[in-house]
Amino acid sequence: MEIFTAIITLGVLGLLFGIGLAIASKRFKVESDPRLEKIHGLLPGSNCGACGGAGCFGFAEAILSGKVKIDACRVSSDAVKEEIAQILGRKLQKDIKKVAVLHCNGGRKVKDRFLYQGIPDCVAANLVFGGQKECVWGCLGFGDCEKICPFGAIKMSDEGLPVVDVNKCKACNKCVEICPKKLFTLIPIASTLYIACSSHDLGKDTKAVCPVGCIACRKCEQVCPVDAIAVIDAFDKSSASTLSEVEGVDNLAVIDYDKCTSCGECVKICPMKTILIRS
Amino acid sequence: MNATQFLSIFISAVFIYNVIFSRFLGLCSFVAISKQTKPALAMSLSVMFVTTMSSLITWFIYRFLLIPFGLTYLRTISFILVIATFVQLVEMVIRKISPPLYRFFGIYLPLITVNCAVLGVAVLNSDMFFLNNKAVTGSFYYSLFQGVCVGLGYTLAMLLMSGIRERLDLCNVPKALKDFPLAFIIAAIMGLSFLGFNGFRF
Repeated sequence: MEIFTAIITLGVLGLLFGIGLAIASKRFKVESDPRLEKIHGLLPGSNCGACGGAGCFGFAEAILSGKVKIDACRVSSDAVKEEIAQILGRKLQKDIKKVAVLHCNGGRKVKDRFLYQGIPDCVAANLVFGGQKECVWGCLGFGDCEKICPFGAIKMSDEGLPVVDVNKCKACNKCVEICPKKLFTLIPIASTLYIACSSHDLGKDTKAVCPVGCIACRKCEQVCPVDAIAVIDAFDKSSASTLSEVEGVDNLAVIDYDKCTSCGECVKICPMKTILIRS
Repeated sequence: MNATQFLSIFISAVFIYNVIFSRFLGLCSFVAISKQTKPALAMSLSVMFVTTMSSLITWFIYRFLLIPFGLTYLRTISFILVIATFVQLVEMVIRKISPPLYRFFGIYLPLITVNCAVLGVAVLNSDMFFLNNKAVTGSFYYSLFQGVCVGLGYTLAMLLMSGIRERLDLCNVPKALKDFPLAFIIAAIMGLSFLGFNGFRF
C-alpha cells in the first residue's frame, strides 16, 4: 500500500507544480521582439564594448529602440550593417572610418630615469613617479595597448613603441582608454599626418630628453597653407607665477583634421621630424 | 528555543561547517564565479536568498507532507522538485517585475537550481531539527536561520576567494598554474585552514 501513497503524493505534488509553472509562464510572459534575436545574430559577438553598450546584446537592444546609430558598431562590415538596416527598415548613416595613432616616437630613443623592476605593465609603471622614462609624457613601452587590442592590430616594435596595423584597427577606442599617458587618438583614415609627440614641456626641456619631440618652434604653423596645424600656447612668462601654471602650457603642435589636406609641407619643414606620415 | 542555539547554528554554519570549505557543497559555482568580487557578491546574495527560501518551503513540505504520510525516504526527490520549481518561479517573476534585478540575478538563478548547497541545507535541516520524525521545538525558526547562515558562509567563502583571485591576476604565475589550477590549490589551502575551526565544539 505504501508505494501507492508515495506515487500519489509525489505525482500530485509534481502535477500541482507543473500546472503552477505553466500558469506562471503564461502570466509572467515577457514579450520580446523577434528582430532582436536576428540583429544579435548578425553582430560580431565579440562583446568588445566599442559602441559604448554592454556587449553585443545590449547594443542590439539599443539600436532596436533607436537610441544609437547602427554605425556605432565599429567591427561589423558594411554589408552586415546594411543587412541590419534592412531588418529595421531604416537607412544606414555612415560615420567616417577612423584609425588609432600613437602620439609619441620616443621609445628606446628616450633614456630611463631609474631602473623599474615592478610589474611589466604600463598602468602599474605609471604609478611609480609617472613611469621610468626621462620624458614623463611619453610611451612607457610595456605594451598594455598590445595586450588589450581585441583585434591584434597593435604590435610592439623593436623600438619599444606600439605600431598600429591600419587594416586590422577597428577604432574600438580600447587602446585610447587603457594608455595611462593618453597617447592614442583616433584620426580619420583619410588623413595620413599626425604629430608623434605628446610632450607639453618647454621646447628646451623636451629637446634635452628626446631627439624627436615637439619643441613648439611653430615652423609648421607658418608653412601650413590651410591653417590646419597650430601650436596652442597661452603661455605668457610675465603672468605665470607658479610651476603648475608653467606646466599647464601647451607647447605642442596639434592638427585640425577638419582642415588638414595631408599635403606634407609640415613634415618637410619640421626640424625635429616630429610630424610623421602614417604608413 | 534560545539565543545560544541560534549562536551555535550561526558559528557552525558559517565557520565550522562552512558549506564550501568543510562540507564541499556548491563547488562548481564557487570556482566558476569567484574571478571578480562584484559577480561573486551577486552570486552569493542570490544563493543566500534561495537557501533561505528553500529552507522555509522544504520545512513545510517535510513537516506537513512527508512525515504524516511516512514518506521521509523520498525527501531528496521532493526537495529537488520544490527547489527547482521555486527557482523557476522566482526567475519568471523577477523577469516580469524588474528587468534590472533580472539582469543582476538572472544569469545566476538557473545555476542555483542545481546547486547542491541549496539541497544540502534542506537535507541538513530535516536531519538536525527533526528527531524521530517529530519537529523539535522551534525547528521552523532554526531551519530558517540555518538557511540564512549557510548563505552567509557561502558569501564569506566567495568574497575571500574572489579577493585572492583578483590580486593573483596581477601576479606573474607559471603558465601551467594560471586560473583554475591555482584556484584549486588555494581552495585546498583555505579548506585546510577552515579545518582549524573544528576545535570549537558546541
